[in-house]
Amino acid sequence: MRVFGRLVLVTLQGLLGRRRIVLMLLLAALPVLVGLAIRLGGGRADAPAILDTLVIRTVLPLVALVIGSAALGSEIEDGTVVYLLIKPVPRWVVALAKIAVAVGVTLALTLPAMLVTGLLIGTAQGGSLGSSLGFVLAAIAGGAAYASVFTTLGALTTRALVVGLAYTLLWEGALAGLLEGTRFLSIRQATLGLAAALGAGDPDVATLEPIASLVVLALAIAVPLALTALALQRFQVRAGD
Amino acid sequence: MTATPAVASEPAPPAPATPNAPNAPVAAIELEHVSRWYGNVVAINDISFALGPGVTGLLGPNGAGKSTLLHLIAGLLAPSAGQVRLAGRRPFGDPTVYHEVGLVPEREAIHPYLTGHQFALLNAELQGLPDAGAAADRVIATVDLTEAAHRQIRTYSKGMRQRAKLAGALVHDPRILLLDEPFNGMDPRQRLHMMSLLRSMAAAGRVILFSSHILEEVERLAEAVLVVYAGRLAASGDFRSIRRLMTDRPHRFTIRSSDDRRLASALLAQPAVFGAELVDGLLAVRTSDYAAFTRALAGVARGAGIRLFEVAPTDDSLESVFSYLVRR
Amino acid sequence: MSGAAGNIYDLGYRGYDGPRVGRRAVAVALLRQTLAASYGIGRGGRAKLVPFGLGALGLLPAVLAVGIAALVSQAGPAGPNLEEASPIRHDTYQGLSATIVMLFCAAQAPELFGRDQRYGVLPLYFSRSLGRADYALARLGGLALAVFALSIAPHIVLTLGAVLAATDPLTGLANEAHEVPRALAISVLDAGLLAGVAGVIAAWTPRRAYATAAIIGAFIVPPIVVALSARLAAGGLARALVLVTPGDLLDGANAAIYGSIPDSPAVAAAGLPAWSYLAAAALGIAVCVTLMLRRYVRITV
Repeated sequence: MRVFGRLVLVTLQGLLGRRRIVLMLLLAALPVLVGLAIRLGGGRADAPAILDTLVIRTVLPLVALVIGSAALGSEIEDGTVVYLLIKPVPRWVVALAKIAVAVGVTLALTLPAMLVTGLLIGTAQGGSLGSSLGFVLAAIAGGAAYASVFTTLGALTTRALVVGLAYTLLWEGALAGLLEGTRFLSIRQATLGLAAALGAGDPDVATLEPIASLVVLALAIAVPLALTALALQRFQVRAGD
Repeated sequence: MTATPAVASEPAPPAPATPNAPNAPVAAIELEHVSRWYGNVVAINDISFALGPGVTGLLGPNGAGKSTLLHLIAGLLAPSAGQVRLAGRRPFGDPTVYHEVGLVPEREAIHPYLTGHQFALLNAELQGLPDAGAAADRVIATVDLTEAAHRQIRTYSKGMRQRAKLAGALVHDPRILLLDEPFNGMDPRQRLHMMSLLRSMAAAGRVILFSSHILEEVERLAEAVLVVYAGRLAASGDFRSIRRLMTDRPHRFTIRSSDDRRLASALLAQPAVFGAELVDGLLAVRTSDYAAFTRALAGVARGAGIRLFEVAPTDDSLESVFSYLVRR
Repeated sequence: MSGAAGNIYDLGYRGYDGPRVGRRAVAVALLRQTLAASYGIGRGGRAKLVPFGLGALGLLPAVLAVGIAALVSQAGPAGPNLEEASPIRHDTYQGLSATIVMLFCAAQAPELFGRDQRYGVLPLYFSRSLGRADYALARLGGLALAVFALSIAPHIVLTLGAVLAATDPLTGLANEAHEVPRALAISVLDAGLLAGVAGVIAAWTPRRAYATAAIIGAFIVPPIVVALSARLAAGGLARALVLVTPGDLLDGANAAIYGSIPDSPAVAAAGLPAWSYLAAAALGIAVCVTLMLRRYVRITV
């Protein structure tokens, strides 16, 4: 347990205290500001749509991507991960610690944005506290899924940022307009589906079934964890002198 | 010992390397026909050896594969062929082996945002030491980093970083210590301090393997050497014994005597001697048979009535051994 | 061992006294190398994965459109109607491929500008007849050419498709001739602006991960701000911001060039005159070049 705590601590020390965090805070503050602007402007009917698009479509995946790829990927790139691996600690514990930190920091950074958006959805016409809560819960699940997937990308490739961006912008961005059958391959769709099931979100927009959404999100957290553990178990230093 | 040269173009048979501690039950580090390649590039080519307690130096020029070899032993690389055994187990994918192993990597940077003390503490806690804080303090004192211990590692000089890495590797008092160019960037005083530390650890029964491309360091610290060149093991063992194995290279001696000229002609009559030169006021002799020459010299000098003031083998240094080995 | 006469044969470095190519040739060589490096040419296989992957994705809609048009025309006389009905046209391509081109810039610019700084090899460049300004311009030019190629390739595919599908090639060429300058114009603007912004950010941010994130941030976040301020009825702000946001600016410029409606409702609502987009784009490119020059002229190596 102490080992896990120390791993978490050293990962946090690496993530925090850098420009990265400041930038992420700025990004996460955007929905909050917009929400405030809407509120002060007297509220709008499409506020929920604006904001949940903003949060779920943009802020959540981007913050998760930057944090996730930094939690493990940058350590592998710098070489400092070696000092964690040449210890009698099971590799899955290291993987778990990294993912836990990535998820935690991502959620911590984006929670204000989610709460604001949730509240605004709740107080919009016909909304309720229940739908606020629904939105926040779905966003939390989505954020955890994104962070988990992107951390694993950092373990698997040196170009995690680009791959993650391509996934978010191209795959998830394009999916919105194209093939319906591939919705289950999108964390965004799963999050929106879960939100709809919990009472939040636009009822007119077709989303993934609740059960499918839950399964996708759960898999998106569990499978990357297993993959990261496996990748660390078989870790080799890079060649080249 | 056979008279084959230590360097062979075909794979060398496994040979025990360290001369010390005959009561070591199982070799702590064992390589059997280990090779590692990256596509078409062979980084390590069929290397076999076994090491026990004591200090062994891994010597080779840059690019010879020293770091690769240490990474293979430490379980940070998987061998493409052959078997690596560290403390009796295969290190790749088996973190339990690190209870008794410490590694000081050369290339991998340490966390710049931690302080020296935090880094030592990190290592201590991940090793599961019961009193990690005390162990960290102890090891920081051992490597002489106490004043800088609460500064971030990004502010450290190269020598200080090396010492911080060493601290991390020593914190759990490992039985086996692997060091990749550990004295890089250290000033002479620190180097001497570290060398005496390693020597005392070796005397207590630890297995220490360190790599270097600086001959003087290896000569001074190592009891035995492993010479690698272009991914192959060129020689192993005590370097003076290696030198004696190299019978196709004449041994050289420098002699200062009361009458160099007459001694030279007397020596040339000996079958073992095939060259003698007067150089810089000294007599330089080349002989093919070390043992026979040393036995005959005293007799020859006495017979000719010549006093010997100084007799020194001039190419018995590791440097000459090494240069012979790599020039093939 | 040397003989009695004693000779030492110097087999090492040899000086060169012959003619040397001038500064311009060196700059051109650097430009060519940068262009190749943008696509990972000259480095290992993995380096080509991302740029060629993105390039292929960028061409995909064009290839699909041409393929489908060919198949359909086999089945019956659809002809020009199909072209206009297809969502993949010259004027819509900017919107389709914008994200891909931006990703390309975000992925490759840090490699081109950051590596030299990270590995400290700038003194090696600056100690040649190549000046600092030449280095900056050559690197930027190489990236811009790479983006230009990425941008114009789909247009070429579409044009070729139309030419080959026409009743005879010459008529086809005549029909498509007016597309060429427009495609060139939008590709030049794309290249200048996107490569410029990405290059400047990458030059000021040597660490690869930060640079990629910053570049994508610079491309993605401002259009969101623009869209939001438009929806929140801060029209004046939106109008001003459109001109400084690369993504929206190119959207507007594309509409100006093709005489179509911009993709983004915010840009359409802004109602800026056509020339303002082109002027702003030109100004933006000039600013980028200036910043780039400033960075390398002032960097301490």
